[in-house]
Amino acid sequence: MTEMNAPSQPTIVELIKVSKHYPPDVTALADVSLTVETGEMFFLIGKSGAGKTTLLKLICNMETPSNGLIEVAGQNIHGLKGKKLARLRQKIGVAYQDFKLLTDRTVAENIAISMEVSYKKPPVISKRVKDLLAQLELSDKHDAITGELSRGEQQRVTLARAVANSPTLILVDEPTGNLDSSTTEKVMNLLNKCNSSGATIIIATHDDSLYRHTDHRIMELCRGKIRRVNGGVQV
Amino acid sequence: MNFWFAVLRQMGRNLRQTWASQLMTLLTVSLSVLIFAFFYLIYTNMLNAGDKLGDDLRLIIYLEDEPGPEMKEQLRRKITDFDQVQDIKFISKAEAHDRFAKQLGQNKDVLEDMPADFLPASVEVVPLKTLRNLNRVKLFSEYLSKLPGTLKVQYGQEWVERFFYFTRLLSIVVILSGSLLILTTVFMVAYTIRLTIMGRQAELELLRLVGATNDYIRTPFMLEGLMQGLFGSTFGLVSLFALYQWIKIRFSGPGILNLFNFTFFAPQTLVLIIIASILLCTVGSYMSMQKFLRI
Ligand SMILES: Nc1ncnc2c1ncn2[C@@H]1O[C@H](COP(=O)(O)OP(=O)(O)OP(=O)(O)O)[C@@H](O)[C@H]1O
Ligand SMILES: [Mg+2]
Repeated sequence: MTEMNAPSQPTIVELIKVSKHYPPDVTALADVSLTVETGEMFFLIGKSGAGKTTLLKLICNMETPSNGLIEVAGQNIHGLKGKKLARLRQKIGVAYQDFKLLTDRTVAENIAISMEVSYKKPPVISKRVKDLLAQLELSDKHDAITGELSRGEQQRVTLARAVANSPTLILVDEPTGNLDSSTTEKVMNLLNKCNSSGATIIIATHDDSLYRHTDHRIMELCRGKIRRVNGGVQV
Repeated sequence: MNFWFAVLRQMGRNLRQTWASQLMTLLTVSLSVLIFAFFYLIYTNMLNAGDKLGDDLRLIIYLEDEPGPEMKEQLRRKITDFDQVQDIKFISKAEAHDRFAKQLGQNKDVLEDMPADFLPASVEVVPLKTLRNLNRVKLFSEYLSKLPGTLKVQYGQEWVERFFYFTRLLSIVVILSGSLLILTTVFMVAYTIRLTIMGRQAELELLRLVGATNDYIRTPFMLEGLMQGLFGSTFGLVSLFALYQWIKIRFSGPGILNLFNFTFFAPQTLVLIIIASILLCTVGSYMSMQKFLRI
């Protein structure tokens, strides 16, 4: 984690009255406004189907909002195209709920992808990969074919890929769904480490053990609307 | 890690995954270049030969009688009435006899029994270089044969006609094989690249999500098309050259090849064919990408 941007901007994610409708008539998000400060760790909770994944997908421009404005690092992410969008995405690490791993590649190759696209040197990549695998207790899976891993292992590979390129913003969707408590702790340790070296982290989860004793902000979604925001500064 | 390292690594992955169809495409490109270049080579050589034949093209008007000066003047005027010509030359009976004797060389004694004026007097007309297409020459010949006192007009009709028809036929074959070349290169390359893209949709999608630039995604495929064009055409031309050498050795000695002074392509032509193939293949891969990468 060498090239963290200095927190030049106080807010890294800004949502203004964002709505997302899916055809024919699903309203996944309705008028959500939200500000996430640079360097924050932010929990997004809510029942299944509340719209957590949708919110994360909007922030990383996997989906476009039906209404409203989303700014990431001061830029309207849905107005970006080509190189600028690519550069911004290199600074956003996402651990997807459905993993999006390349199942026919090795674990190491999967993690390397996020660093390869920003042209990191091969020795740097391989060192970082080994380091992350050690932290997530996956060292013995370095050359395993990703499709043959268990769900819990795949989940950790996804997380490793998300943080590998030392992004300034890390979006994590349900990072511990398939993990036991000791592995969950390893995952949270890694995320905390990223956070303390400057990365902003947004975690979507319904695992209350993650946020029960936290003093970070927690936002609860309910059927696409903000139900309440705890801790930190009230929005 | 720099850009080209990444591109080459990605190309290596593509090749490893689809080498069989890549090879097929390469062979198809080579084969179509070979076919096209083969006909084109024959065609250019025919054109060269045609030029040489054209240089010697002249119409000979055989006359009933030896023309007097007045008659000569009249003929000259009538000929130039029809068309501008490069040269008009009158050959008297005696001159014709001398020429023939010269051509016979040692055998000229056969002429001794013949009367000196058994060969008709004639006029040689050399048309302007620019007006030497077949139809024009034909019309000219028809016109000349209607002049008073004309026995017959000759310009090697059959020969010239056959030659021109053959060249025209060949030009059609060249155009057809050229179209074949364009179709196969563009579509075969587009097809293989499409195959690669289809097989790796998930990866390409992910690459975009983790922030790969369009160039990062696109360049390996462009380069793949470029390589197909480069290696395919080079391979095709090398095969043609081998074929050419083989024919030359096999049929050395007097023959049709020597008659035409058959030559291989000039280096510029080779380079041009290779560049054209590269362009076509790159266009093919570009088409595929525009369609299936949606970038
Ligand atoms: N691509 C889509 N097309 C149509 N509807 C969708 C799509 N994606 C999500 N939805 C709907 O939007 C709503 C919110 O979905 P979302 O995935 O954001 O929920 P979630 O909070 O992540 O749930 P979970 O905790 O189960 O992951 C759901 O009702 C879902 O059915
Ligand atoms: Mg979800």
